[in-house]
Amino acid sequence: MTATTSARIREVRRPGAANRRPGTPTALRWELRKLAAQARARYTLLGSLLAPVLLVLVLDGQQRPPKDNIYGRHIHDSGYAMPLLVLGFAAQWVFPLLTALVAGDIFASEDQHGTWKTVLTRSVSRTQIFWAKTVASVLFALSVLLLLAASTITASSLIVGRQSLVGLTGQLLPSHAALPLVLASWATAIAPLIGFTAVAVLLSVVSRNPAVGVVGPVVIGLVMQLAGSLGGLDAVRHLLLTTPFESWHGLLTEDRFSGPLIDGLLVSAGWTVVCLAVAYAVLRRRDITGG
Amino acid sequence: MSDILAVNAVDVTKRYGALTAVDGISMAVAQGEVYGVLGPNGAGKTTFLRMLFGLIRPDGGTLQVLGRTWQRDGTRALDGVAGFLESPRFYPYLSGRVNLELLAGLDGGDAPTRIDRVLDTVDLTGRDRDKVGGYSFGMRQRLGVAAALLREPRLLVLDEPANGLDPAGIRDMRALVGQLAASGLTVLLSSHDMGEVEQICDNVTIMRTGTVVYHGTIATLREQAPEPAHRLSTSDDQSALALAAGRPGLTVLALDGALAVRGSLDAVDAYLSAVVRHGLALRALSLQEAPLQSLFFMLTETSPETVPGSLDRSPTGARP
Amino acid sequence: MHPILKAALTGGLALAAAASLSGCGGTGVTRPRLESALAATFANLYVQQAGILGYSGVSVAQIAASAACDKGGPRVADAGPGADWICLVTFTDHKQGTHQGKFEVQAKSNACFVAGGPSKLVGLTTITDTHGNDVPNPVFEFDGCFDPRA
Repeated sequence: MTATTSARIREVRRPGAANRRPGTPTALRWELRKLAAQARARYTLLGSLLAPVLLVLVLDGQQRPPKDNIYGRHIHDSGYAMPLLVLGFAAQWVFPLLTALVAGDIFASEDQHGTWKTVLTRSVSRTQIFWAKTVASVLFALSVLLLLAASTITASSLIVGRQSLVGLTGQLLPSHAALPLVLASWATAIAPLIGFTAVAVLLSVVSRNPAVGVVGPVVIGLVMQLAGSLGGLDAVRHLLLTTPFESWHGLLTEDRFSGPLIDGLLVSAGWTVVCLAVAYAVLRRRDITGG
Repeated sequence: MSDILAVNAVDVTKRYGALTAVDGISMAVAQGEVYGVLGPNGAGKTTFLRMLFGLIRPDGGTLQVLGRTWQRDGTRALDGVAGFLESPRFYPYLSGRVNLELLAGLDGGDAPTRIDRVLDTVDLTGRDRDKVGGYSFGMRQRLGVAAALLREPRLLVLDEPANGLDPAGIRDMRALVGQLAASGLTVLLSSHDMGEVEQICDNVTIMRTGTVVYHGTIATLREQAPEPAHRLSTSDDQSALALAAGRPGLTVLALDGALAVRGSLDAVDAYLSAVVRHGLALRALSLQEAPLQSLFFMLTETSPETVPGSLDRSPTGARP
Repeated sequence: MHPILKAALTGGLALAAAASLSGCGGTGVTRPRLESALAATFANLYVQQAGILGYSGVSVAQIAASAACDKGGPRVADAGPGADWICLVTFTDHKQGTHQGKFEVQAKSNACFVAGGPSKLVGLTTITDTHGNDVPNPVFEFDGCFDPRA
């Protein structure tokens, strides 16, 4: 500290200037900037871009295709089969994990770093922070989905080719018809992915522990997957957040059906609204004692 | 200065289950004042300050900051208020400068030139591009002051700013706090160290286990302070102790292989002369602790009954 | 309870109820759905197989495939997922001969199935196309899905 500090302090202080209000977009911009500065988020995006290329190369080299999964038996027949195989596989635990890597951490990391008190003693409200973090998580999830889809479809059509695709009623879908259907199939993952993002947000807020926020949605996804595969639980099956991940099947049959798609949207919306509402209420009410 | 109080707390209470962390605290801090909140760790100082910042919801009482309340004004209750609680925390993966840019953004606007100035004020200019993860404790503490100044506050709240610093860091931080106080800001300074507060604060509130045990000016507190205690070592402490018997206004106790002598300066002088006259040699005589420090320990560590009854314990006497 | 929370929970539960009611009526895997999906899928793939083998004039209509399914024998209800579905598929080949074969069908809870037919009827894993290349036999084992509500 120097002798001129007092003078400098007077210069810095212009009382009454701290009455501006930041908008939620400002808070969102900073959440995105924080994400961009974190290795975890950067590597997840990079992995979403590169891993599909590697996966397509490995699968393409397999003599015995993975017949247990839908479209597994067709990976050598058409470059459009591989993205559908990957889509079915990703729904099992990859989608919940990828979104939870950010959404499960984004609230709990403030507890981990003790920075709640740092941001909440500025001019932003808890509501603004909540929406900034939630929207940032959703944007991240959508970016991951977009990268995975683009990378898988591009790699597969370049490596395997753009042959006709066999539909789920055995009908032959010519290349120009198959591509939009594959794209639409990937798009159906948006709603349940946002649902899982909301689950991760809830766990992140309630547990205040990044590990719970990241692993929790994966475990929940696997348990739902298991429950959904059992017979005799159809009423429960409809309410599971993993069921909408399979609603794209209806796009690829000869007579398309949209019942599961609409249900999937409703169920995903239900999970999203309930999880976000509980998370919001908890965050609004909690005492920030740590840090 | 406006006659709106910087802080006006009335009967503020916070309970965690069976534990009452803050029990009916009232406090009035005028604008322009440098106010100390003293108490040992666990006295409820930080809980009170967290309620002031809206991080914790009080269970009872009202709390106004620059005339605003959390219930009525929400985040606006923090307009013109800045500071930090316990050790300031930042995002370790961002640089000091980017952390400040982020906080300036959350204050409603970026101000690159102001960031330069506050960094300069706390002497972090050369290290502002380094990640906070690599900062020392003292650097983070100074970045905390910078982050608070960035808000251009009228009320600056500093919670244990010198806590955890090395001696040089403590000296620098105290100098900085002193300069901030001298610049006309309203400063609310919490500390567990009387020495940190008595030089710069006009008024203090002393807390223990969630309640106020003293409320008033430092000057009044000084008058209430007990006579200084001396630590005395002689060639024969047993005989010296015996000589103390019957002397008015003097207490001498055997303590840790020496004698603790407490009394007015006259009484102590007379006693020491008597000791020497009886052929005992003085080996050491030292002031045991500062009088205010003794009073602080009496207020916050002994059981309430032994606290001098003459002390003003009503919170209303605090207004300057 | 917080009003926003209350509204959200009510809304969420209403959505959930709506979604579950719309899918009511037990399992989506029923005998008629499986039979029609299996027959249609087989027919489509048989046409493809005929194309690979170079038989002309084979169409879905001409094959007239039909299926009759049973799950787990006479004592088990013919509904629900399981690997114990047996379906008798009847169809007409390109020479107007009528064939029948038992297909083993694994039906899944997600309204998709995997079916495999007898080799003497559908051929082996690979077949030889008109250019003499070995290619996968589309009918040997195949996937299909159906609408669990139709």
